[in-house]
Amino acid sequence: MSTVFYENWNLGDRPAVVTLERTYTYEELNTDIEVFGKKLQSGEKELVVLLCTHTYELLVAYLAALRAGHAVMLVSGDLDIDLLTTIMERYQPKWIIGSRKLAGYEQVEVSVWRKSSSKTLMIHPKLAVLLSTSGTTGSQKFVRLSYENLQSNAVSIVSYLRLDEQQRGLANLPLSYSYGLSIVNSHLEAGATILLTDESVMAKSFWVFLNEQRATSFGGVPFTYQMLQRIGFLKMNLPYLQMFTQAGGRLDDRLVKLFGEYAEDQGKQFFVMYGQTEAAPRMSYIPPNRLLEKESSIGIAIPGGTFCLDPNTSELIYKGPNVMMGYAESLEDLAKGDEMNGVLPTGDLATVDDDGFYSITGRLKRFVKLFGLRVNLDEVERKLEQELQNAVACTGSDDRMIVVVESEPSATIAKAYLESAYQLHKSSFRILVEEIPRLSNGKMDYQAIKDGLV
Amino acid sequence: MNNQKLQSVFTEALGIDASQVVDDLTYNSIPEWDSIAHMALVAEIDDQFDIMLDTDDVLDMSSYAKAKEILSKYDIEFE
Repeated sequence: MSTVFYENWNLGDRPAVVTLERTYTYEELNTDIEVFGKKLQSGEKELVVLLCTHTYELLVAYLAALRAGHAVMLVSGDLDIDLLTTIMERYQPKWIIGSRKLAGYEQVEVSVWRKSSSKTLMIHPKLAVLLSTSGTTGSQKFVRLSYENLQSNAVSIVSYLRLDEQQRGLANLPLSYSYGLSIVNSHLEAGATILLTDESVMAKSFWVFLNEQRATSFGGVPFTYQMLQRIGFLKMNLPYLQMFTQAGGRLDDRLVKLFGEYAEDQGKQFFVMYGQTEAAPRMSYIPPNRLLEKESSIGIAIPGGTFCLDPNTSELIYKGPNVMMGYAESLEDLAKGDEMNGVLPTGDLATVDDDGFYSITGRLKRFVKLFGLRVNLDEVERKLEQELQNAVACTGSDDRMIVVVESEPSATIAKAYLESAYQLHKSSFRILVEEIPRLSNGKMDYQAIKDGLV
Repeated sequence: MNNQKLQSVFTEALGIDASQVVDDLTYNSIPEWDSIAHMALVAEIDDQFDIMLDTDDVLDMSSYAKAKEILSKYDIEFE
């Protein structure tokens, strides 16, 4: 179709993007990108930060920045201002696209801000996109993705989902989130239509849009599927819907089965997938015709990728052209080249069965996913300890983080901190006030905390 | 009685002050009432009133006033 997903379309009047307000053809999108791109011209590769809203304008800015050859950092548009300021100070972007006014930037146009004092910095020519490692928690560590990372993953997704120009996919996940971004990239690669909405499946307007626009697919994180089950999705008759995809954490087997059976009954396809932002993000999927026998697996590697297990640790290792260049934790890191050579140690422990399907059995490091958001328990623990000046233990599972503090006042501060700094909903964590159980070597006994709750 | 019960369900599920729970409190109008909280709210209503809201009602429940209206269909009365 195209040489790369963000340019060289020859699709004329085909619908590219549909919003609540109107439809934009590929030709219009192309023109809007060209016009916007001119505003970002400076003859050098610069860093452009997008404060992501779920709008056509933002999508145009993203594609224009890519075409202009800039490096694009996508962050959530409603990021806490302090976290945003810290990120800006660290990475010194030349351009900021969004409606927020930040010190040191002059407005050159509606939603376009340019750094007043310019400093030349070196950005690696292959660097295309920077995504936060932890969704919206405002971590200052970013994943460095190259043009090839994005393109190869888009091509691969188009291939296994069999996306074509007829598809009308709902892009209902944030663009600053790797899964949300990959839906957009792959649909553009296929020349398909993107239905842009940020409504939740809990909102009536989501279903009105889906039906009116004859959406053929949507994606969801595990929590989306919990909501879908609660609102009675499994009883809905959705004649235009052809497939739905799931990623962003493990969906429990019971729900995989329920939705898998629904898909089979209705002649639709349910894709359960696995990935990490570090892989731009897709690494594997379960072919829908094997879903009901392999429901607890992460499936097989995507086209172009391979899995293997570290013989010593059983860590799942992924190899493919979509593996990131590396991380960035400072401005200087943007100059770095590829440090991974196409090999990603996932941090997940896994097994493989006789059919070549992989299953995750645990994690090397301590992470949990709360509503699709990856939270590093060790990091939260450290931050809370700084905040409280007292010992804190964080543990939990993908449903809920458990935080143990040793006094009532600490509990109050911890709760407020988690809600404001991490923007966690209170149903995603539980705070216990008790003495932190410890092992004989003095280390916190996380297992005892978990056992104590059962 | 039911008024108070529903009000405390909202306060609890959304984590807001009782004074904020008024008839024209609407979904997505405050950061506390997002889709995640809506899910918690629905679960809490099911629990507290011993009912099971159906699809349309879950999706239609877009304000506090609307919640009372919907609950009255389940024979829960508000004076």
